[in-house]
Amino acid sequence: MKKIHIELIMPEGKKIDEMVDSINVPGVDGDFEILPDHTPFITKIRPGTLCLNTNNKTTKYAIHDGFITVDKDKVIIISEIAESEKEIDLNRAKLSKERAEKRIFNSKDEDIDYRRAEVSLHKAVARINTIG
Amino acid sequence: MANLRDLRTRIDSIKNTKQITNAMKMVAAAKLRKSQDLCINSRPYADYVERVLFLLQQKNNTKTHPMLNTPNPNGKILLVVVTGDRGLCGSFNSSIIRYTNQYMKDNNDKVYDLLCIGRKAYDAFKRSGKVVQHFTNISENTDIDNIYPVKNAVLTMYSSGEYSKVEIVYNEFKSAIQQELQCKQLLPIASTESESEHYVDFLYEPDEETLIEELCTKYINVELWHIMLESNAAEQAARMTAMDNATNNATELIDQLSLLYNRMRQAQITTEIIEVASGAEAIQQ
Repeated sequence: MKKIHIELIMPEGKKIDEMVDSINVPGVDGDFEILPDHTPFITKIRPGTLCLNTNNKTTKYAIHDGFITVDKDKVIIISEIAESEKEIDLNRAKLSKERAEKRIFNSKDEDIDYRRAEVSLHKAVARINTIG
Repeated sequence: MANLRDLRTRIDSIKNTKQITNAMKMVAAAKLRKSQDLCINSRPYADYVERVLFLLQQKNNTKTHPMLNTPNPNGKILLVVVTGDRGLCGSFNSSIIRYTNQYMKDNNDKVYDLLCIGRKAYDAFKRSGKVVQHFTNISENTDIDNIYPVKNAVLTMYSSGEYSKVEIVYNEFKSAIQQELQCKQLLPIASTESESEHYVDFLYEPDEETLIEELCTKYINVELWHIMLESNAAEQAARMTAMDNATNNATELIDQLSLLYNRMRQAQITTEIIEVASGAEAIQQ
C-alpha cells in the first residue's frame, strides 16, 4: 500500500519524520484526513489533535498552531508547539482549562485578556482531547 | 627594595583576574554550545516558513499585501539594532554601534528611527533621540515566545504606514572565532523568486489573503527569533575568544612579573649576604 511521508518541523528541530498510511489534521475550516494521492493543498492548523495512522495503529499529538502543506504524498507541517501523548501533563491541562474558563467568564469580550484566555482554553482542550 | 611587596600584590591581583576571565571563558563556551545547537536546529523551520511563503506568492501574483510591498515608499526607515546586554565580549557590541553610527551619517538625508535590542545598543543611542523603543534582557532567553513583544512592536510600527522599510543590523555567527556583521531588510519581505522550483497548483484554505497575512507574521517572528539566536551564539563566541585572549595575556604577564620578582628577591638576598659578610669581616679585623 502506498504511504505518505510526513515531517513535522518545529523551531527546536524535526519532531516527526516517518511513513504513514493516513493522517487526520485539525484544519481551521474543519478536520480532514489525508490519504495517499491527495491534491496539493495548503492550510492553517487550529489547536486540536493530529493523528498518524499506520497499520491500524494511531499515534496522537496535541498540536496548537501552524501550517500544513501537502505535495505529492509528502506532508510537511510547521508548528511551534506539538506534543505527543507522553509529553502532555493532563493535570496541568485541566487546571489551565479551568483558569482560562474563569478568565473568559470574568473579562469583557474582545480585550486582549479575553483573546489570550481563549487561546489557552483551546490549547488546554486540545491537550485533554488528545489524551482522552 | 620596598616594591618587592608591591610586585607580590600585583601578581596576586593578576592571578585573580585570570581566574575570573578563565571562568567566563568556560561559561561562554558552555553557552555557545547550547545556542549553536539551537541555531542549527532552527534552520529547517525558518527555511520552511520561507518556502511556504514563496509557494503562496507564486500563486498570488498581485503581491499587494503591505508586508510584501511597501504602501509608503517615501516613509521613514526603521533600523533594528541587535547587541548583547553585557560587555566583555571583544568587538561584538562596538562593531554594531560603529556600523549604526556610520549608517546614520551616510543616510543623513533620510528620516530614520532606531529600535534597540540589548542594553549596549540602548546605552549607546539613548542620547541621540532616535530610539523609539528598546528591549533589554531578552537575548539570554531563547524561547520563541520571548520574541513576541519585539515582533509586535515592529509590526505595529510598520503597519501604521509611517515607515517605508525595516532594516536589522546584527552579528551573524560564522564560527567560534568569527562573527560577521549583517544588515538585512526585514520588511517589506524580499521576494525569494530566484529558486527554480516546479509550479504546483495548490488549493488553499481559508483564502490566500488570510494565509499570506498569517504566514508573513510568522515569517517575521521566525526571522527575528533566528536573528536573536545568531546574535546570541555570536556573542558567546566573541566572549569566549575575548576571554581566552585575556587569560593568555594574564598568564604572560604573570610569567614576566614572576621573573622580575625572583630577580629582585635574589638581588636583595645577595645584598644582605654581602652586608653580613662585610660586617663579620670588620669584626675579625
